[in-house]
Formats: sequence, C-alpha cells, structure tokens
Amino acid sequence: MGLDYCTIRSKVLRARKLVIRGTAAAGSGHPGGSFSMAEILGCLFYKHLRYDPRNPQWEDRDRLVLSKGHAAPGLFSNMAVAGYFAESEIDTLRAFGSRLQGHPDLKCPGVEFCGGSLGTGLSYSVGVALAARLDSRPCRVYSVIGDGESDEGQIWEAAMAASKYGVDNLTVFLDRNFIQQDSYTERVMPLDSRLGDAEEISAMWLDQDRWRTGDKWRAFGWNVIEIDGHRIEQIDDAIKRAQAHRRAPTIIISRTIKGKSVEHMEDNPQWHGKAPAQETVPIINAELESQSIIAPSIIAGDMTNLAAEVVRCAEGRADYIHLDVMDGRFVPNRTFLHEKVKELRPLTLIPFDTHLMIEEPHKHVRRYVDAGSDIVTVHAEVTDDDTFGEISDTLRENGVGVGLAINPGTELPEWSLGFLPGIDQIIVMSVVPGRSGQKYIESTHQKMARLMPILRDNGFAGYVEADGGVNLENAASVFADGARAFVGGGAIVSTPDVRASIRGFRQAVATARRRMLLDLADSLGGSDLVERWINLHVVGARPAEVRTIAQEAGYVAR
Amino acid sequence: MLPDEPVLTDMRTAYAEALIREGRSNPDVVVMGADTTDSLKTSKFGREFPDRFFNVGIAEGNLVTMSAGLAASGKTVFASTYAIFLPGRAVDQIRNNVAYPSPGGRGGLNVKLVASHGGLSVGPDGGSHQQLEDISIMRTIPNFRVMIPADTVAVSALTHMMAAEYGPFYMRMARLKTPLVYGGGDDDDYRRDADGAGTTGVDKRFEAGRANVLRDGSDCTLAACGITVGMALEAADLLRRERQMSCRVLDMFSVKPIDGRALEKAARQTGRILTAEEHNIIGGMGSAVAESVSESYPVPIKRIGALDAFGESARDAEVPLLLQKHGITPFNMAQQAGALERLPER
Repeated sequence: MGLDYCTIRSKVLRARKLVIRGTAAAGSGHPGGSFSMAEILGCLFYKHLRYDPRNPQWEDRDRLVLSKGHAAPGLFSNMAVAGYFAESEIDTLRAFGSRLQGHPDLKCPGVEFCGGSLGTGLSYSVGVALAARLDSRPCRVYSVIGDGESDEGQIWEAAMAASKYGVDNLTVFLDRNFIQQDSYTERVMPLDSRLGDAEEISAMWLDQDRWRTGDKWRAFGWNVIEIDGHRIEQIDDAIKRAQAHRRAPTIIISRTIKGKSVEHMEDNPQWHGKAPAQETVPIINAELESQSIIAPSIIAGDMTNLAAEVVRCAEGRADYIHLDVMDGRFVPNRTFLHEKVKELRPLTLIPFDTHLMIEEPHKHVRRYVDAGSDIVTVHAEVTDDDTFGEISDTLRENGVGVGLAINPGTELPEWSLGFLPGIDQIIVMSVVPGRSGQKYIESTHQKMARLMPILRDNGFAGYVEADGGVNLENAASVFADGARAFVGGGAIVSTPDVRASIRGFRQAVATARRRMLLDLADSLGGSDLVERWINLHVVGARPAEVRTIAQEAGYVAR
Repeated sequence: MLPDEPVLTDMRTAYAEALIREGRSNPDVVVMGADTTDSLKTSKFGREFPDRFFNVGIAEGNLVTMSAGLAASGKTVFASTYAIFLPGRAVDQIRNNVAYPSPGGRGGLNVKLVASHGGLSVGPDGGSHQQLEDISIMRTIPNFRVMIPADTVAVSALTHMMAAEYGPFYMRMARLKTPLVYGGGDDDDYRRDADGAGTTGVDKRFEAGRANVLRDGSDCTLAACGITVGMALEAADLLRRERQMSCRVLDMFSVKPIDGRALEKAARQTGRILTAEEHNIIGGMGSAVAESVSESYPVPIKRIGALDAFGESARDAEVPLLLQKHGITPFNMAQQAGALERLPER
C-alpha cells in the first residue's frame, strides 16, 4: 500500500485555504496553530481516522479531540473537506447563529470536545478511551495538544492517569510549534530549554541536545515518538507505530512551524490569533498553491550503490526520492526494475516518486505498487485511454499517487484530458529521457506556457514536476513556468553536499515564489498592496529579503 | 413527652451504599475518586466493580474532565471528593467540560459531582477546608442542578434520582453524622414532632425542583437545607412553645431548580421567610429563595449563614460553637424569625 501522499497533501491544501477563507471572513481566529497541525489532521482525516460524516454519532467511530481548541478553524476546515458540511459553511465561522463557534463545540455534529479552556482535552481523551475499553469498542482516541497548553498542570495530571491505566487506544499529538500567545514557548515557559534573549527560535530547531520534552513524557511512562510534524510520511508511520503499541499511551511529539506554508505567518507569534486581511487572501492562496517539492533523482549518483544515494537524499531532507526506472526498450538505457525499488524501500520513509520509463507500463505497474512506490508516473507515449485508466485505478485503489509524463517532443494527448482531475502529478520532461547529465531544453518554457492553461481548464488539481536539466540557475524560471516539483539529478545528487544543494534549491524556489506573490500583489492592488504585503514579513531576514526582491522588480523604491 | 434522642447517621456511608445499588442495576455507572475514596467510602464500589472505578489521585481538574470524557461516551459518572476541592478548585473543568458541552442539544454531560465536607461543620480542618461558596458557584453554572440533602434518607433517594435522570448534578453532603429528619428505615412517614402536637405525614419525594414541606404552619416559614433542616424543626418547636407561632418548615434540598411554587405559597400564606444554611449568605440557598420570592410574592426575608466570612477550626464537639458564631442555631433562627416583620396577607 502506498502512503496516500498525494491525496492527503491536496486535501491539506484545501483545508488550509478554508482556514484562510474562514478566518478572513470572521475577522478573527487562529490561523497559526491551525497550520502547524495541518498535516497531522490531514493524516488523520484522510487516512487513519474511522468516521462517517453522515452518521457523526456512530458508536464505533474513532474520536478526534482537539485539546488546543483555539485551532478550531483547522478542525472545521478538515471536517468540511471530509464531508461533514459544505465547504461554504466556513464563511459562517464565529458568526452569530453559526455551528462553527470560535472554539470547537458539540453544536457542530462531529466535533467531539468543547475545547477552549486549555489543558483539559487530554483528561477528556483519557475518559473517552477508558469508556471505549469498558465497552470493548475498537475505537481509538486521537488528541492534539499544544505546547503552550502544556504549561497547564492538568496536562500532566492526565499524563499520569493515562499511564496508570495503560490506555493504549489513546494517541496524542503534541503540536510543538514553539509559539504561544505572548511569545516563543521557550521564553514564556520552557518545555525544552530556556531560550536566551538574543537567540532566534531556530536555535531550538538546530540543537537536538536542548530537546527535553520527549524525556518528560518518557518519564511519565508514555511511548514517545518524535517526528517532523509537517512530513506526511513521518506522521503516517508514527500513527501506525502508536496503533501497534500495547499497554501504554503514545505521544507523537511533532515539531512544527506555526503558520506553516504562509511565509509571513511562519514562526511569527503575531499570527497566533489574528485573521488575514481580505485583500491578502488571493495572495495567500497563491502561496499555499505554490508549495514546492524537491525530488532528487538517485540515478545521477553512484549506480553501483543506490542504497547509499537514497540515504544521502534522505539525510539531505528531500521531499521525494525520484526513482527513474528504465527498461532499455522505451529508452535506450537500463537502470533498475521493481526488485531494486523494493530493496531500497526500507531505507527511508520519504515517498518514492517512481518514474516508469518502460514499455507497456500497465503490465508492470502493480509490481511497482507492491515494491513500495508512493507515486507512480507512466509515459503518455506508451499509454492510451484504456491502459491509463487501468493504471490509474490500480494506483488509486492502493493509495499511490497517479502520474503522467510527457517527453520533450510530446504534447499532452487528447485522451488524457478527461483523466486530468484525477491525476496528481504531470511530469514534463525537459531532456530526452534515457541518460542523466543533459542540458535543459529551453523550448520547455514555451511548452509549459501552452500546457498550464490546458491543465487549468480541465480541472487538474495536482502539480507539474519538472524533470531534466533543472538546476539552481534555471529553477526560478522553471517555477515561474508553473512547475512545483523539481527533479534534481546532476544539480543535487551529483554534488558532494546533497543537503546544501537541496537547501539551495529551496531558496531559489522561495525567491521565485516571493517574486510571483509580489507580482500578484501589484496586479491586485498596486504598490500600496505590495508595500503592505512586504510589511507583513517581520521575522528574521525575511523583511529585508522580500523588500530587496520588490526593489529589484521595481515595485518599491530602493 | 421528651423528644427522642436523635439518630445520627453518616451521609457518606449512605451515598456509597446507594452507589453500589446503582452499580448493580446499571452497568454504565462509573465512580471516580481523587484520593478521598476511603473517606467518601466510594472505595467499596471499587472493590465490587474494579473496572468501573477510577482513582485519579490528588488531581481534581483531571477528576472532573476525565468524568466528562467517560460521560461523553455514555457512562453515568459519579465523581466525588471534598467540596472545597470540587467547586472550590475545579470550576473551570466543571463549567467547560461538564456543563457546557451539550450533545444533541441535551444540556451538559451526564456527570454527578457529589461532594462531602460542605460548610462549616467540616470542623477541625479549619477555614481552608470549609467550603462556604459552593452553592453560589454551582447554581450560577447553566445546566447544573444543585442538591443539598438533609440526612441519609435524602442522600440515598437523591443518589438514585441523579443516577436515573440525565444531566449534570452537584450534591453537597456534610462531614459529620447528621440526625435523621426523614425518619429511618422503612418508616415512610415523618414522625418527629417534639410536642406530640400532631404527626405530619410527609410526602418525601426527592425530585429536582421540589421542596419538601416538613411541617405546615401559617405564621412564618423556615427554609433550610442540609444540616440546618433539623435545626429549623427545632426552631419551629421553640417558636411554637415560646411565641405560639405556627411555622412552616421547608426542606429546600433542591436549591436549583428551586421550588418557586412552594415558596410563593409560603410567602403568601405565612408572610415572612427565614432561611438558614452553612454557606455564605451571598449567593447561597437564602439568596435563591430571595430571588424567587422577590419576583413572585415579595415578603420580608431574613438570611442566616456566614456573613461574607470564612470559617475556622473547631473540634468535632465544638462545631456547634462555630455554627453559633455565625448564628446557625435553632435558638437564633427562632429569634430572628420572631423578630421578622410579617407582611399581612394581601
């Protein structure tokens, strides 16, 4: 089974946009903490949580208790995407007479806990978990608690009780975003270790020796799992491990970023409880839609030791591991087949982005699913209406993302248009496939200009992955064309420091994104809006960097 | 004829026995404690039903909120400790986790908070442990109903009533053994009438929203709850003997909802009301009576209780002295009632 990565990711995006829509409509609310837990709620709602939106009181349902109740927009947005109510109802957030109260409330069917007063959701969850045990019900209880909330003594009362009673049907996420209302948690009340007055919060991220929270929970008798709380694959894995753990509750300490995916909100305490202005909503939506994926291609490395290349990419914090499968028939070269994919699978949790450059992919796709792929992309040149339909069904049924690739000489075929709403990833080849180390074909820019409107007009909700000759120099223009995933062979895997190269890619893409958003601000509201957009950025080097880009573009004076 | 020596019985024992009866007949009854389960005697329930008994330690916030979680999944939860640690400590959890959530539009979750050690009669532990604010706190929280039993008969009956009826309840018991005012054992009728002037059959129904008329009378009403009910009966005897006053005695065991009809009738027919409780006069049962009567049939009212003050230590034998300091005695009740202006019937 695949990870359902693409499905979760796209629904998380929908939910994030609803958070922005709802809080902007309400004029208040808490986007920051809604975004830090966005991927956690995504993995629950779209994969692990058992529920029935048409029967919210189903007795054997799993329970989701949002203890950090101020993140209600994060909960409501996912409930809307999950089908509890129409997405348009988010417009009533916090309004008089609405079911969508300022904090989660049983007035909205499907909400399990009236949150708001912090520190109590964990106790409640222990009670719910014990009741399930008394009734021999199979339901599991998932709770999300905050780090600021962990100042409350009752969290630790509940921690002791859960441990005493060994409630192994309880899984808790600590949304460790390091920010509470007044400031950084490690200034207000350190949970890991105290943050010096001159230190940035990033100091806490960088120094694992200062992390103490896991020790606290271990000392309370809990099964402790520590993850990056924005990595879908890590969340998914942690949930599975929690489900398998017996006789003790599990806490998944999820290090997250408050306001994640909106740069001016990220790590910014101001966005704990503030709504975005309506004028910025389209810009924020564009930002949410343009999150990028870096997918290093391991065949650019040592073909005799691909396992080592996977490990390098994983340690380099890649988003995907791009696996180029070549059969020596569709392309002249041979690389490896499904056995190799299977062999590499245990090395990392990072999604396998398997690119099948093979003949008759419909005959082989199942093997790549079974080998552990999370996204499988097949070529338009060797598929048609029938075979792609078959492939797409197989992938969907197995939680694997659906990809379609086109070679430099191929336009998107007519037959594929009907499939576009169900396709997660379109790979646009910018080199002739078959060997690595080629130069980016410049006419791909024009091709992208032809392609993007077709995708938009045919209900495509996925993203374009640029593959071939993409490097630090052209990444910005490739992003500007519309690509959101970037396969890096020579520019990443062939470099000595994969992590630094990936970071470089991210920076290049981030700069291009900033520019794109400034362009959008200018087109929507001229230099006034550009100025207001720039001024939203306050943390670290961001204000200066964004202003410089705006100056270079001529939107503001130097 | 001399009055019988009063029979003293223990509310906590009656409560614990009632819980076991409820536990036997209803598998959804769960009992929660916070390191006072021997004192509250609920540990007996734990011995009979170990799976349905949870002792969370000295953690009252957790006690209340875990109870809410269990109740949200269909359990009928009784959570108990001393009054000072329940409303006195966990009011946020009581309000936000028990009273506020309203599943399917039903008001609050099915949690029964039962506190022992209410009021001044806590005695030797002193002012820090004498909860004189709980009635006021609890009756202002929507969805909560507030019960103050006068004796063990009332405790048993109210425990059964709370188990049968959905929703949040607060019940406050006294620490000391208390005299029976509702007779004992199988005796259905109330027969304690010191002068032997007449035996009053009392319909001792313990329903939320009802006051029990323990004695009828036309000159004055004495409204009491908890340990002051027995005192009110004594005060009524005194008033009859010494002032030839006929007093109506109301057991206001249901402080919320309060029996507005019984109060209006009492106001109309007796023209004055005296209240007595071991609680701050601000916000307590007397306040509830005054609120009700002032809107239905205003008559002079005098409230006896702690005058916006805290308690202090008194050894068990000295508890009457402590109560006396705050005017909570049959003698003072009689005196104050006698001094109260009576509004002629309109």
